[in-house]
Amino acid sequence: MIRLAGVTYRYPRTEHPALQDIDLQVSAGEFVGLIGANGSGKSSLCLALSGFIPHFYKGRLEGEIEVAGHPVRETPLGTMAGAVGLVFQNPFNQISGARFTVREEVAFGLENMGVPPPEMASRVDTALAQTGLRDQAGHSPYALSGGQQQRLAIASVVVLRPRLFVLDEPTSQLDPVGTREVYAALRALVSEGGHTVVCATHKLEWLASFADRIVLLREGKMIADDHPRRVLTRPDLRSLGIAPTRYTAAALEAQRQGFRENRGGELPVTLDQAAAFFDGNQD
Amino acid sequence: MTSLTLFRPGKSGLHRLHPLTKLSISGFCLIASITLPDPWMVAGLYFFLMVPLAAWGGMARRFLIACVQFIGPFMLSLFPIQGFFGRGTTILFEIGRFSLKQEGLLLAADYTVRILAGLGAAMLLMFVTRPDHLMQALSERGFPRSLGYIVVTTLQILPRFQEKTQMILNAQRARGLETEGHLLHRARRLLPLVGPLIMGSIIDIDERAIALEARLFNHPGPKTSLHPLVDSRAQRITRSTLSGLIVLLVLWRLLGWLSP
Repeated sequence: MIRLAGVTYRYPRTEHPALQDIDLQVSAGEFVGLIGANGSGKSSLCLALSGFIPHFYKGRLEGEIEVAGHPVRETPLGTMAGAVGLVFQNPFNQISGARFTVREEVAFGLENMGVPPPEMASRVDTALAQTGLRDQAGHSPYALSGGQQQRLAIASVVVLRPRLFVLDEPTSQLDPVGTREVYAALRALVSEGGHTVVCATHKLEWLASFADRIVLLREGKMIADDHPRRVLTRPDLRSLGIAPTRYTAAALEAQRQGFRENRGGELPVTLDQAAAFFDGNQD
Repeated sequence: MTSLTLFRPGKSGLHRLHPLTKLSISGFCLIASITLPDPWMVAGLYFFLMVPLAAWGGMARRFLIACVQFIGPFMLSLFPIQGFFGRGTTILFEIGRFSLKQEGLLLAADYTVRILAGLGAAMLLMFVTRPDHLMQALSERGFPRSLGYIVVTTLQILPRFQEKTQMILNAQRARGLETEGHLLHRARRLLPLVGPLIMGSIIDIDERAIALEARLFNHPGPKTSLHPLVDSRAQRITRSTLSGLIVLLVLWRLLGWLSP
């Protein structure tokens, strides 16, 4: 689904590369998390996967990027938009502003594609059901809560039926309820729809639960690509500007204060793993 | 507030007309209100065409109230100014050095009725026509789609921009900025608002552009709509007739002005 080989990218008028020598492969149906401190290259990688680098943000791109069978450099943005659904952090900016109801907002992309109205209506209804927005179909997009607006942004992309979803901190402006809503919608897309998801976020607990792999970035370089538990329990995580999950932090604290003996097993990164850890049943 | 649009949903026959038919009716009323020579004819146009149309749209009361709300303050200034300071020889009464003239009052009445009719024509269109449907109809006839997008989004996004300004204002107040008091003092104090507002808006524009591209706004080829606009032969004939009448009215008026 995704193949990056030796990708280095510099934004216009900058010397320091935002991405440096990235090699990455993602198979169809995988949920990959992207983590890293601010400025580590997460957003740039998301933009490169969706074609906005180099087509929208010019700059200098080296290496090869292939997404859903499309060589990104040679593929026009319009074609890329049909293959890759991009969702970013501010739900407000993703609402077109040109439509007056949630249902019409979801249909906006299909109208631009010239999809016939009967097919459009059916696809819109499916997307609204997938993202749990059926009850809000007749509401104004601006009357929705933050979580609902972000789900609307996802629905607006889902309806285009891309094979890959790229999400750049989709829940950074949402409260826990909104975050839960968005991740539930994403989980449904992966488990029921078989989509591929690449999600950049600082909310590690959610990635620990949902991601198949986590890619760790630092200053534009990929320094880890592994199972979530192995990446999120790295001893150097804090030095990379990333706070470990609350479960890992609690386990480390318990070991430090002598409540739990360090027996060399893996630290927990999810609630279930934490329960097992504190019950003494860790793997 | 979710939008600046005056449109109110409805299922009336007027609501269901093609947006261009409504635009033609509105355009005809507007041009007629300017070009008809006799203000009584303009008043007739308002009361015997526009008000019944508003009633057909199920909003006669709202239409009349909105017209009065707009025209009322206007009349309060127009009548005294034209009455006392306009040209005329028929003096109705005098207050000190000022005299109220009949010709001035008649001119004010003429202006008032024409403004009322022109305003009514625009309101009639806005009350029963969704801006996005109007833009859709226009873009199907070759009007630039991006311009239509700007018009419609402005109506929806301006209230959000106001909310954002208020949010920044509240944030600055919370940090001790004085935003009340003397006008100059206030203006100087408000300068710190401008930076965050402009920078935030520039970032927003960038994100919006990406979001639009991601949703294929510039995708080549024909566009469709979730709600295709319904048109009919009768409406097309009506539009052609009204367009012809508009041209005739303008020509007639121009000839009237040009003839000695």
